[in-house]
Amino acid sequence: MILWNRVLVGVDGSDHGLNAVRYLAAVLGGSSNCKVRLMAVHLPSPQDDPSRAEEIKARDVEARIALEECLLEAHRILVEARLAAENVTSELVEADGSRGVGEVIMEMQRQGGYGTVVVGRRGLSKAEEFLFGSVSNTVVRQATDCCVWVVA
Amino acid sequence: MAEHRQAPELKARAQELLDRKLDRVRLVSDTSQFMELMLGDVLELEGRRYLIKGVTYEGRFGLDEEPKHWVKRAVEWETGEPKIIKLVFYEEFDLPVGKLYVRCYRSPAKEARILDLVKDHPHFMHGQCLKDVKGNLVRVLDLVRGGPFERNLAKLGGDHREYYSRHLRGVLDRLLPAVEGIGFLHKNGQRHGDIRRDHLFDCADSGLMRWIDFDYNFEFRENPYGLDLFGLGNVLCYAVGKGIPTLQEVQRQQPEVLQKLDTGDLSLIIPNRVFNLKKIYPHLPEELNRVLMHFAASSNVFYERVEELLADLKPAMAALPRPEEDAA
Repeated sequence: MILWNRVLVGVDGSDHGLNAVRYLAAVLGGSSNCKVRLMAVHLPSPQDDPSRAEEIKARDVEARIALEECLLEAHRILVEARLAAENVTSELVEADGSRGVGEVIMEMQRQGGYGTVVVGRRGLSKAEEFLFGSVSNTVVRQATDCCVWVVA
Repeated sequence: MAEHRQAPELKARAQELLDRKLDRVRLVSDTSQFMELMLGDVLELEGRRYLIKGVTYEGRFGLDEEPKHWVKRAVEWETGEPKIIKLVFYEEFDLPVGKLYVRCYRSPAKEARILDLVKDHPHFMHGQCLKDVKGNLVRVLDLVRGGPFERNLAKLGGDHREYYSRHLRGVLDRLLPAVEGIGFLHKNGQRHGDIRRDHLFDCADSGLMRWIDFDYNFEFRENPYGLDLFGLGNVLCYAVGKGIPTLQEVQRQQPEVLQKLDTGDLSLIIPNRVFNLKKIYPHLPEELNRVLMHFAASSNVFYERVEELLADLKPAMAALPRPEEDAA
């Protein structure tokens, strides 16, 4: 049985991700029987060029900080919408770079038994989707036992 | 940057290997200044020696004959076996892919990782990575004898119908394992990074197709393998069409066909290349054309994994005429 009220939300530091959180807040605001897990995935930059190691490391640190701030902001939005703070948790996941963010989100969904997955959508062109991939497309394609909300 | 030693026996061996007189022979253990390395320099890497014969040259897309100073022709000191030596050259740039740009950089470490991964794989170039005294990752590559896949394809005479009935099945039968090779990379978390038809070598001795040159890497995106899939689509379309017709070529050679084409028939990424080949070559089977159409602008479903491409390609190939004995 799908536990619809166990909700997994992917954010990526962009406005699109936070818009998805705002939508969720508007729908679920005030509810007491929902548990929301906010997650962001950090993809480390390849460390292949020793001459740029410091620069790459600094960029990675910046990216992690941006994701942490985004998780805090998302948490604030949901609590302001009167979801109980103890029902809203968050996690920054470190990925290894061999899989995309969408795959990491769906692995978390399966492991955690989340019945609802919420992601934003950037509105990429077809060519961009083909070449670079799309988190929301991956999530939709891999979803088999859950409901997916794609907030565009 | 280099140690200069002119031991007489060093010079004698170098001259023997090259079968010519040399003014100067140097033993070099630091390859950082690769521009300065030239004919007669002997690289010493982890106890092994390689004599440099010269540089290699670009061979494609308007860059013909431009020297690649970081890639040297060489011979192994002990055996005289020819080698290609790739020295560490970091560059970072925006690679145009159609109308999009991809942040791209050269990664000797990535190429070294893949060389190790594919050391027993028949569909990749082989070689090993050795460090110089400064820790530079020097890739010592076996020569891949043969020529770019497209060159051999061009040798198959006749029109497309003849190519289709006599050769296409044979070409795809040999291309398929190379495509599976890219899937092998992906399963191991690696990507080729620069799949082009001139990076696929048709080996004269074995008849195998082998991928070369995998030192490009990219900033990570959601689909780490999308660029490789794009490259495979181009190679496949080239193989099926014996070239990818451009709109200009269609206009010149088959103006009546041009009227039948619309934007959905063109490559999603490079919109002057026709991927709906069935409109140009009606004898192509629908199943095979459908595979190509996944790379066309009208597609809404893209291949994200090599296995997805193969799952469609293999049954589509079954409908093709069997190759003749002398086929490609």
